[in-house]
Amino acid sequence: MIGVISYLVFFATTASILAIAVLGLNLQWGNTGLFNGGVVAFFGAGAYATLILGGAAQAGHLGGYGIFYPLALLGGMVAAGLMAWIVGLLTLRLRHDYLAIATFGVAVAFENLMRNAEWLAGGAKGVRGFERPLRTALGDGFIYNLVFFVVVLLILILTYLFLQRLVVSPFGRLLRAIREDEEAAQSLGKNPARIRLIAFITGSVILGLAGGLYGTFYAFVSPQDVLPTLTFQIWAMLIVGGAGNNRGAIFGAFLIWGAWTASGWALSRFAPVEVQLYTGSVQFILIGSVIVGMLMWRPQGFLPERLVVSHKGKTKRKQHGEY
Amino acid sequence: MSIIRVSRASIGLALGLSAVSGAAYAQDCTTKIGAVLPTSVDWGRPIAETAQFAVDQVNAAGGAAGCQIEMVLRDTQVDPKVGVDAAKALVDLEGVKVLLGAVSSGVSMPILTSVTVPSGVMQMSCCSSSTAFTGLSEEGKTNGLWYRTFATTGVQSAVGAKVAADKGYKSIAILYKNDDWGQDMARLIAADFAAVGVEVTASVAINDAQPNYRAEVTDALSGQPEALYLALYPAEGTAAVREWLSLGGTQNMILANSLKSDEFRDNVGLQYLGSALGTDTASPRSESADAFRAAYQERFEAEPNGPGLANSYDAAMLALLAMEAAGKDASGADVAAAMSRVTDPAGTPVSADTAGFVAAKEVLAGGGTVMFQGATGDVRFDENGDVSAPAVIWSFSESGTEEIEYIPLSDVDAFIASLK
Repeated sequence: MIGVISYLVFFATTASILAIAVLGLNLQWGNTGLFNGGVVAFFGAGAYATLILGGAAQAGHLGGYGIFYPLALLGGMVAAGLMAWIVGLLTLRLRHDYLAIATFGVAVAFENLMRNAEWLAGGAKGVRGFERPLRTALGDGFIYNLVFFVVVLLILILTYLFLQRLVVSPFGRLLRAIREDEEAAQSLGKNPARIRLIAFITGSVILGLAGGLYGTFYAFVSPQDVLPTLTFQIWAMLIVGGAGNNRGAIFGAFLIWGAWTASGWALSRFAPVEVQLYTGSVQFILIGSVIVGMLMWRPQGFLPERLVVSHKGKTKRKQHGEY
Repeated sequence: MSIIRVSRASIGLALGLSAVSGAAYAQDCTTKIGAVLPTSVDWGRPIAETAQFAVDQVNAAGGAAGCQIEMVLRDTQVDPKVGVDAAKALVDLEGVKVLLGAVSSGVSMPILTSVTVPSGVMQMSCCSSSTAFTGLSEEGKTNGLWYRTFATTGVQSAVGAKVAADKGYKSIAILYKNDDWGQDMARLIAADFAAVGVEVTASVAINDAQPNYRAEVTDALSGQPEALYLALYPAEGTAAVREWLSLGGTQNMILANSLKSDEFRDNVGLQYLGSALGTDTASPRSESADAFRAAYQERFEAEPNGPGLANSYDAAMLALLAMEAAGKDASGADVAAAMSRVTDPAGTPVSADTAGFVAAKEVLAGGGTVMFQGATGDVRFDENGDVSAPAVIWSFSESGTEEIEYIPLSDVDAFIASLK
């Protein structure tokens, strides 16, 4: 029984970290309409920077600064934000598919930089041996994982509340206005380029936060963690959950990650012995089918965006497509 | 729940049928071990099959530590997140004390740091080559729970340096595959060349799947080296060597074991490979290696030629031998600690098959120690869980490859020590 609880805590931690990342993407895509195809670069920047800043000394590359953990995590967020600022200045004038291709290129460049620049982050070997915060006080076992989960969950809730607040604020309305019709927003005296950049950086900082937590949890990050697969996974979570809806983003993260892991477990448990070797491939087919089915029959996601036009004391809901 | 029972029954039936010599030991209990391997990747599946093959042999010998063994296999998809989750599920839900895997260092490492070490489970990898594991162990962070049967890149690079020294090369250029293995290899061999007094003129990374490697090869040629060292895989190795030869590079080449392939020989052309010498870790000159080959051929109707097969077999076999030595209901740490009893150079030699496992059981039951003679050699771990192995120097021939020189384990160890 304790095994099941221990596993569920572990699972929920990974899912919560991914949910934070999906929330970051949701701000960019769901609310502002920025097609970020390089999610993994900002996630990775957060993970690498956190580990380099807060990790123990390692020969051969940067790191070993041993900075107080929350500051290291903050440093990871700053690194992701800085990268988003530079990338954003260069690419945010691009629209939709062009922006997607440009940011995808940034992600591939990031992975290659990490793979090759051994002096920076250990190259293909990755950054390892990160001392997990509070390890001495909490030990290595279940209690540690439980405390870590609670912390991640709190950060997830705070991120969610922050974004909920942001979305209903005038700034949130402005984001949606830019998403739907940039020129109309401009005609009202708004500066879409600046607002897009702010939204892009904010979303990327949240992605960097998720990356930092991820690196902390695994005590390791390598170029294998920043492959395009992760971008695909986070996008799948957002699309299945419901782009534009923060609750949908969180739900999608838990659902897709749950399906991803549960299908592997179920196949290893119940599939006949002779099929065991092929379960990996079967799992890919299952997951792919779910996503295709979702796009065909419920493209708006499980929890679609709810457009709320807020007036004092009176809230009116409109269906998608009516605005 | 009935599905579980049915699948258990069918596994039990299969095990019962395969039990030949060990029928007298038949038990009703089952111990699970975990395996996290990239079965969704083409080269990963045979590695998993070979591990299962070792488990079957042990079950035919009556199981380990008084119980039949069930290997629960999970796919990593070569994705660290997926691999770590699978490992955690095996440890928490299936209660395994021994975990085989993973293949990629980038997957094995987070499993080690976030699952097996915190949970006190022994982890044994067939194929992770990164020197980062040695570093982690030296810092005392693996708690002795980590082993791998992939002879460290150290053996390969030392023997490569020995070849260069024996041939009297004064200068050499290095081309290496741009992954964790290649980067480690390039760093180690550069140090070893320096130690034997061979000058390294250039060390150039080769990325996968480029249309050509002219820029990289020109870079390597610029120092006019007397010889070329290649730590590449066959596909990009072929492309790079063709480019190298067409630009007038020397035919004096030293090859890592990854290029010991017919594909490479045929695509480059044997006439250009006359002065090429390869290095490899060798099978021991013992009957057990032949026994493994024979048993493998009987089971799979093919030679065990493929990356990591012999390593995977030895990893599974050693893990099970250590479980046997540690006894029933042992913890992961107990099993890890028992490893020295089954890889004791002074112990009774046992072969890598069912009969060998039966023999090992008797010796271990009497309180003795055994020396496992595996498919990759007389496996022996150092304090960091790294394995050393005998080495061989080979060259290409009409029929494939032929052995030039066999270097026993003691000589390999002595040579490595002389480099430091």
